[in-house]
Amino acid sequence: MRAPNTTSLNPPAQFYIRKITTSRLPPRMIRLLGPSAPNNPGWRVLPVGFALVVFLTVVGLWIEPVIKAPNLAILYMLAVVMTALRWGRMAATISAISGAVLFDYFFVPPPRTFLVSDGWYLITLVGLLTIGLLVSMLTLAAREEAQTAQRREEYTSALYSLTEALAAESDLDRILDAIERHLLETFQRPIIIWMPVDGRLKARISNSELATAASKEAAAVWVFENGEEAGCGTARFMDSRVHYLPLKTWKGVVGVLGLQADTSKEPASDEKHLLDTFANQAALAITRAILAQEAQRTAVLQETDKLQKALLSSISHNFRTPLASVIGALNSVLSDGALLDISTQRELLKTAQDEAKRLNRLVQNLLDMTRLEGGAVHVRSEPCDVQDVVGSALEQLGDAARERLITIAIPPDLPLVPMDFVLIVQVVVNLVDNSLKYSSAGAPIEVGASLKHDQLQIRVADRGRGIAEQDLERVFEKFFRGASAETPGGSGLGLSICKGLVEAHHGRIWAERRLNGGTEMIFSLPLEAQ
Amino acid sequence: MSDQGPRVLIVDDEVAIRRFLRSSLAAHGYSVHDASSGEEALQMVPAVRPDVIILDLGLPGIWGTEVTKCLREWTQTPIIILSVEGEEAAKINALDAGADDYLTKPFGAGELLARIRAALRRAAKPEDGPVFVTGDLQVDLAGRAVRLRDTDVQLTPTEYSLLKTLVIHANKLLTHRQLVREVWGGAHYEDAPHLLRVNISNLRRKLETDPARPRYIVTEPGVGYRLRTEPVVAPSVI
Repeated sequence: MRAPNTTSLNPPAQFYIRKITTSRLPPRMIRLLGPSAPNNPGWRVLPVGFALVVFLTVVGLWIEPVIKAPNLAILYMLAVVMTALRWGRMAATISAISGAVLFDYFFVPPPRTFLVSDGWYLITLVGLLTIGLLVSMLTLAAREEAQTAQRREEYTSALYSLTEALAAESDLDRILDAIERHLLETFQRPIIIWMPVDGRLKARISNSELATAASKEAAAVWVFENGEEAGCGTARFMDSRVHYLPLKTWKGVVGVLGLQADTSKEPASDEKHLLDTFANQAALAITRAILAQEAQRTAVLQETDKLQKALLSSISHNFRTPLASVIGALNSVLSDGALLDISTQRELLKTAQDEAKRLNRLVQNLLDMTRLEGGAVHVRSEPCDVQDVVGSALEQLGDAARERLITIAIPPDLPLVPMDFVLIVQVVVNLVDNSLKYSSAGAPIEVGASLKHDQLQIRVADRGRGIAEQDLERVFEKFFRGASAETPGGSGLGLSICKGLVEAHHGRIWAERRLNGGTEMIFSLPLEAQ
Repeated sequence: MSDQGPRVLIVDDEVAIRRFLRSSLAAHGYSVHDASSGEEALQMVPAVRPDVIILDLGLPGIWGTEVTKCLREWTQTPIIILSVEGEEAAKINALDAGADDYLTKPFGAGELLARIRAALRRAAKPEDGPVFVTGDLQVDLAGRAVRLRDTDVQLTPTEYSLLKTLVIHANKLLTHRQLVREVWGGAHYEDAPHLLRVNISNLRRKLETDPARPRYIVTEPGVGYRLRTEPVVAPSVI
């Protein structure tokens, strides 16, 4: 990052606020002078100063017999000060001059002439004029000070409200919204914010007529790359009607802020200050949001990475183990066939066959999982006979199911239930297969179906080793293997495939521990097609 | 290799599969011919006159489904489809087009041999006798009578029509569409699949000892049904 120069070095917000609090005028004075004093009184008020003086002259003529003439000068003085306070310097000057002239004409001896006979009156006249002019000048200075202070107060409150709004948000889009809203409110001019998207600068926020013409983009790109201001009022792209500021933090330039230049008047220096501070706050908030996004992305990546690692290790382990057996067994039969008796050869070949089947199951599971996760599984719901589903599942399990005691309890009056026949058969196959694998050969397995709470419930229960209480939910996670799952042949995917398939039917699947040992896997399906 | 046994034409582009099938089938006395593409198969069938064709679905060039359609235009030679997981739609199309049966790769030789035997038996006696008997089940097609363990079974006309279709094509896999066409005629009822399931369920309740584990009427998930008369041949791969 290049060294920041004075134009692009944004003063910190605290500095600005401190300046306000050291203002020389007390707040009460600001209220007294500020709001009542019109910013630009114009020529309309000039006769008012004159009229006040004429009115005082009439009053003076009326009370002259009582009050001596020199004392009347005080009245004119009062008129000048009042005019200066209410209507500004020009009115006050007019009132001072006209006051001096009228005083001279009506009250300074000899009366009704502009002549001055007494030297003391000359001093009074000059004093009246000088004090009038001085007061009018002082009044102006005080009023300008008050106006500046008022503007600063507005800026400070605008800045506070921006800071507050930004602090409340952490989402980038909402932060950009807040910046846009507050800048518009404060400066009343169209703004635009460019941010890099996929390596290119793009307008993230652009309201109204500030369209992204190519020239504007070029300026924005220059500002982004150099980290310096450009556009109207700077040395670069000076004919542009937009003022470009880099949104810069310790992390570098995160974006570019464009504000339509106000060509009607010279920008006040404190307005420039405010804009810089706004840009600074905006840059900090945007950086914070970007960092938060990055952190979240990293977390997701790490999670994905972890899953992929688990997948890879599971695949390589689960593939290599059966492959090693297949290759080893076939090698023995081929090369040492003459040395082995028939029964040993058969045993080896049987091993190779079993392991090849295991590989096939693994490939099938991986395929199913990939399809499920890729959204390639389409549920073709049709009214199905639950008994047929269970029967087909057992048929698919073949000898493994025929050799075991499996009791089936399905009420004959169960209605047809909408489901994808093939997919739900697979769920039942996986569940029964698990029960076969994780319970001893003599232990019975129960398969049942019933209607409960307007749902079809299918349950597969065994008397196996059971699942630890804390693992009841985790068994449906990918690659989760229970502590007691030493039985080979599992891929760690069977139950998560079941979960995926059941949930694709808008159903639910869960595991329960059975009284007296064993596991009950239950899934429910809605009776109405979703 | 024997040239006397039934002729089998193997159509598969995988050399390893052809070699495995060739040696297994030759060992069981079949005379084996093979083709590596659909085009080659269509040329060979008239010359070889096979008794059964084993046809892979995923062939290079024209697909097994197309080969089935072409062959069914002029020959009723039994066709057994070989498919892999993920070709369900093509498989059903081939069966609808007239293929007799299917096997999903990977499969065991025993399973294939059983399917070939069943296909050859069906082809050898297209006309069954008037009384069909399997296990405890007797279906008298001439007398429209169904008996189970020598007891008459009362069937509705639709149930009987469905059973008759299954009996005529015993051991052949019939797709949902074929069954609906045979039983409900040309009109494709909107709820025909529903009716089919209900009637199959009712038939099982009346004919099977354990309807949840049927012995006669077997479901091929997602494909159709078949009436099984063969002893159960366990799929070698689950």
